[in-house]
Amino acid sequence: MPLVMVVDDDQDLAEMLSIVLTSAGMEVDLVNHGDQVMDLFNSHTPDLVLLDVMLPGIDGIEVCKIIRESSMVPIVMLTAKGDTHDVVLGLEAGADDYMVKPFKPQELVARINTRLRRSTKVGSLSIFDLVIDQLEHKVLKDGKEIALTRLEFDLLATLAKEPGRVFTREALLSEVWGYQHAADTRLVNVHVQRLRSKIESDADNPEYVLTVRGVGYKAGSAKA
Amino acid sequence: MMISKLRIKQSLSLKVLVTNIVFAIFIAAIIGIFVQNRVASTVINEKISISKVEAAGALYSAQRYFELARFKGDKELDKVIQDFIALSREDGFFSGRETVILPIPNLTKNQSIYQTVPTLLVLDSIPENFRKQVTKNEDVLNERISISYSDGKDFPGFIIGTKLNIPRSGTYEIYYLFKLDAQYQSIENITWTLVLTAFLLIILITISTKFVIRQVVSPVQAAASVAEKFTQGDFSSRMVVASNDELASLGNSFNEMAVSIQQQIYRLENLSMLQQRFVSDVSHELRTPLTTLRMAAEVIYQGKNSFDTSIARSSELLINQIDRFELLLSDLLEVSRFDAEAATIDLTTFNIVNLVKKTVDYLHPTKATKLIIDSPNESVPIQADERRIERILRNLVSNALDHSEGKNVIVRIAESDDEVAVSVRDFGLGFNEEDAPFLFDRFWRADPARARTRGGSGLGLSIALEDTKLHQGQLLAWGSPHQGAHFVLTLPKNHGSLVQSFPIALIPEDKLSTVEE
Repeated sequence: MPLVMVVDDDQDLAEMLSIVLTSAGMEVDLVNHGDQVMDLFNSHTPDLVLLDVMLPGIDGIEVCKIIRESSMVPIVMLTAKGDTHDVVLGLEAGADDYMVKPFKPQELVARINTRLRRSTKVGSLSIFDLVIDQLEHKVLKDGKEIALTRLEFDLLATLAKEPGRVFTREALLSEVWGYQHAADTRLVNVHVQRLRSKIESDADNPEYVLTVRGVGYKAGSAKA
Repeated sequence: MMISKLRIKQSLSLKVLVTNIVFAIFIAAIIGIFVQNRVASTVINEKISISKVEAAGALYSAQRYFELARFKGDKELDKVIQDFIALSREDGFFSGRETVILPIPNLTKNQSIYQTVPTLLVLDSIPENFRKQVTKNEDVLNERISISYSDGKDFPGFIIGTKLNIPRSGTYEIYYLFKLDAQYQSIENITWTLVLTAFLLIILITISTKFVIRQVVSPVQAAASVAEKFTQGDFSSRMVVASNDELASLGNSFNEMAVSIQQQIYRLENLSMLQQRFVSDVSHELRTPLTTLRMAAEVIYQGKNSFDTSIARSSELLINQIDRFELLLSDLLEVSRFDAEAATIDLTTFNIVNLVKKTVDYLHPTKATKLIIDSPNESVPIQADERRIERILRNLVSNALDHSEGKNVIVRIAESDDEVAVSVRDFGLGFNEEDAPFLFDRFWRADPARARTRGGSGLGLSIALEDTKLHQGQLLAWGSPHQGAHFVLTLPKNHGSLVQSFPIALIPEDKLSTVEE
């Protein structure tokens, strides 16, 4: 059973979340305070963190940064403000996805399942000298392993799988994040930026993940 | 002429300058003419009175000269008179006096004419009338004349004449002629000096006026430009107050007014900001309990089969109302964003025909009413905020479905070179002409008593209008009771340009043809 850590200061919402997630077949750890997240995280490593942005003590964005320093665990943020720069800040701090309150429980469960789902495809992909080992869930560049979050790995693997195809942001949202209706394309932009900063030698002149202006992204075909 | 008149009317400094120059010219002319006249008459009169004194002296000595003269016969008389004339020429050399002695016909035997410049002076210079008066009178007479010389030169002059009695010979006329050319020369010089002075005076006044204008008008112009900046929204602009005069007090008053206006505006801005913040905060704060509520309702709803019917139905109603509450909340938040002018536009280029189809498919899965899409073109690219355009379309179509009473709804797309239009026509309830102004108002309902089938927030059309305005488009509505409504959205294809033409007319085609018939 996957373990989900729910970080929320609203006791009723936290309890309700735990009811919904438990009935969807997950184990739940509840944390009410930002300060307590790391203690529990280290002793009882979760498979996914559900994090409210507005928290007493350390706020959600700080918590996100702290977790990312040591772990690639999927993080889904809960926010009341879907349009503000809170979302971008959270994504840049390392969150993989976000849910704007109020959301439907089915939607939340679907989102969490997408993030927990292990890539079932077996085999090795590559974008010229970048090796993507789907079995081991590793990315190697010049023989060295690059640490990616699961979402970043999925994003890279999706692009590498079909080398000639240009993926629109909407297509990536549906294939990587599991969105059925077009959502916030900032989600894609922010994660592509993060991925580039990890794999590219020069993030301003990318070689592996290329931008196709006005359309979307595609995998690089040859080293420049 | 008209243009310069207009310019003078428009510019205060030009007005002051022109007025001052006109006054300066006027005053310089009056003073100049007056001074010139006075100087001229003084100079001439002075010369005349001096000449009179001189002539009186000369006459006296002439009389004495002839009384004492000893001569025999005409020949000796001629010599005596010739000597007298020579003497007189020497005496009168400095005053430019000419002496002429003329015989009076019938009163003298000697009919010779004697004069100081014997050949040059034209004797016609002595007017006939004056001679007649001199011969009739015993007094010394004078008159202004023009002295002519045989070489063609004329001089302004003055003549003094009387009778001269030469013993043993008879009575002669004696004339002293004084030239006034030196005086007239002086007067001319003075006149030129006056003209030059007047000219300099006018230039001086022009310069000083300009200087005064700079001192007075420039601060006024500065005040005007500051006031203009103020009206353009730069409330921090102030007048520079550097002196202690009336203009400084104008500046100070203006600045005080500016401060007070700025404070008022700041206060109002603050107030409306607080209000907008409040609406936004309330909307956000309601979201957390609403999330809990929704999840709890969903859990209950999922287990409804194990409850009895009334509880199961209640859970359904609960879910519906939570949906409605959520819609209201997000619309309210959107409205507060428009009020705060915080709405941003996220431009992309997309095919609006696809968007219309997508929106209609999304809103119309049940096909309870017929929805017809009519577009001449499969692809109409437009540069706009796709999310906002979708929301406008969704609001228009759901509004039409809401009021169609089960009849057809027709969605049309048409384009011109620079615009694209989408119209939504229903044949349902429509609306009265007097309701038209309130159609886009927040929470406005045509008939408060009418049941709502879809339960919109009441903010849909108002948000659609705001979204349209954000794209500099036009959203217009036509309606007639029980004949339906027609909403026409017209957008520029490229963001930033304005709507110039309307590919779809506001009055629906079916109505237009009946009017024509």
